[in-house]
Amino acid sequence: MAVSPLSSFKLDHSFDLAAQVRSDFPILQRQINGHPLIYFDNAATSQKPLAVLQAMDHYYRHCNANVHRGVHTLSNEATDAYEGAREKIARFVNAPSPQEIIYTRNASEAINLVAYSWGLSHLERGDEIVLSVMEHHSNLIPWQWVAQRTGAHLKFIQITPEGELDLEHYRSLLNDRTRLVAVTQVSNMLGSINPVQEMTELAHRYGAKVLLDACQSVPHMPVDVQALNCDWLAFSGHKMCGPTGIGVLYGRRELLRAMPPFLGGGEMIADVYWDHATYADIPHKFEAGTPAIAQAVGLGAAVDYLSQIGLEQVHAHEQRLIARLLDGIQRIAGITVYGPKDPARRAGLVSFSVEAVHPHDLSTLLDEQGIAIRAGHHCTQPLHRYLRVQSTARASVYLYNTLAEVDCFLDVLAEAVEFFSAALS
Amino acid sequence: MPLDNLRGLYQQVILERYKKPHNFGRVDPVHRHQRGHNPSCGDTIDLTLQLDPSQERIVDIKFEGAGCAIALASADLMADAVRGRTIPEALQLVERFQAMMRGGEEFPREQRALNAMKGVAQFPVRIKCANLAWHALKYALESPEPQADGSAFVSNENTD
Repeated sequence: MAVSPLSSFKLDHSFDLAAQVRSDFPILQRQINGHPLIYFDNAATSQKPLAVLQAMDHYYRHCNANVHRGVHTLSNEATDAYEGAREKIARFVNAPSPQEIIYTRNASEAINLVAYSWGLSHLERGDEIVLSVMEHHSNLIPWQWVAQRTGAHLKFIQITPEGELDLEHYRSLLNDRTRLVAVTQVSNMLGSINPVQEMTELAHRYGAKVLLDACQSVPHMPVDVQALNCDWLAFSGHKMCGPTGIGVLYGRRELLRAMPPFLGGGEMIADVYWDHATYADIPHKFEAGTPAIAQAVGLGAAVDYLSQIGLEQVHAHEQRLIARLLDGIQRIAGITVYGPKDPARRAGLVSFSVEAVHPHDLSTLLDEQGIAIRAGHHCTQPLHRYLRVQSTARASVYLYNTLAEVDCFLDVLAEAVEFFSAALS
Repeated sequence: MPLDNLRGLYQQVILERYKKPHNFGRVDPVHRHQRGHNPSCGDTIDLTLQLDPSQERIVDIKFEGAGCAIALASADLMADAVRGRTIPEALQLVERFQAMMRGGEEFPREQRALNAMKGVAQFPVRIKCANLAWHALKYALESPEPQADGSAFVSNENTD
């Protein structure tokens, strides 16, 4: 299923997702500064359900061994668990084969893998790389390096005043020198959902490859790599109920096979001689050294957990929360909201600034009431410069957040704004 | 009011200095120039100093930049505290301020205005904000070559 537009999902108001799942997340029982935790920093990382913690605990207690190395029972079990998780992840994003799922440390490493392996070997002087102004630093810095080393040029898709990608401008950037389009599917600052299926189709007409940063989409909405028809898709495990230390690169099989290895070492080889070596087939060609086995198992459990609930449900739930949040926040005087104003056109996060109040000060006030939000530039410094704002505050929700939490956040936010405007007036 | 326990952090003087800093701007002529930067939040302080002819004493000090109430109030109070001081005296104040942020003693009577910042020590994640300007000042004063262009940022990331 394609992910845009998403407003076609059925909203089932009788089913309160958060009420059903909250007890699965032990950390949500915590009190922060004497108040129940309201965790609204999900775009930075999500909390973990018991099922994920138990899967990793079970792995270490019962199956721990190195993978692909031994013929003993434990090594076999560990390998099955590790490769089993890969199959789950492949089904989760509808990859044609688990071979196309590469484990990495995180999404940044997944993008670096493509930049170093494909970018440095395929791009040359005068080639063009199309990015957007809303890219996270992890989908910008690796391409700056590739451009510096190869002589390729970076081009940036602008955004509309509403904070959505300007498709007309995108079309105008494409030409026969365009070799790569690397864009985010959902902006981690603006919350806008980019029409990546259409963008991919346009890029392919010029023979360009397409890499999608799916860090803010895969955890929150159905993503189907075959429907999107992208060439690579990168996402992190820790933003989707999984552990830190594991990310994923999906890549088209024939492309991955043609790419040189990224890191060298154990696991990624076929035959090794003193002066040269031949390499394993994908995916192992790109997984040098002992991998993050327990983390892969944990991510597999997270995929099971989310699949059981259904990503349509998760997305519908977040849309209810964000509609309420957007509506309420715009009623507070002095607040500027970034990104689309129509909740149906955005994901479950809202960045905002308050006149004369720095996001750090705001965040400290909210934290006193147990509310965790992000304050800063959210790894999008150039976008903040582009929007002429030094830094912003960001509230981001997930499946376990409730409407009551949104209301409490809005009350405390109004009070915090009042605290500062009274003191500063 | 539920936010009452924050009044220890956001003392009236901090809010007033944030709203109307006394030392915002650039000195003229500029003898030392240093930019400080908190990479995690993007806050910047652009510090300029004017020294006496013997290069031993701070005649004037001002700052520009963008930051939170804690960072800007701290910069403003710092400028008042070090104006007219010799370089070694100013560096001593930097050390003493950073010690106070780690929970150390308050300043004596002469510099008691700086004690308004003491509450920040109770908020570990905000200590970096308070230290930003002081960290930049230390660099400005310790750099062997008098820097007038202040071209490089000093990062406040790994200090406490």
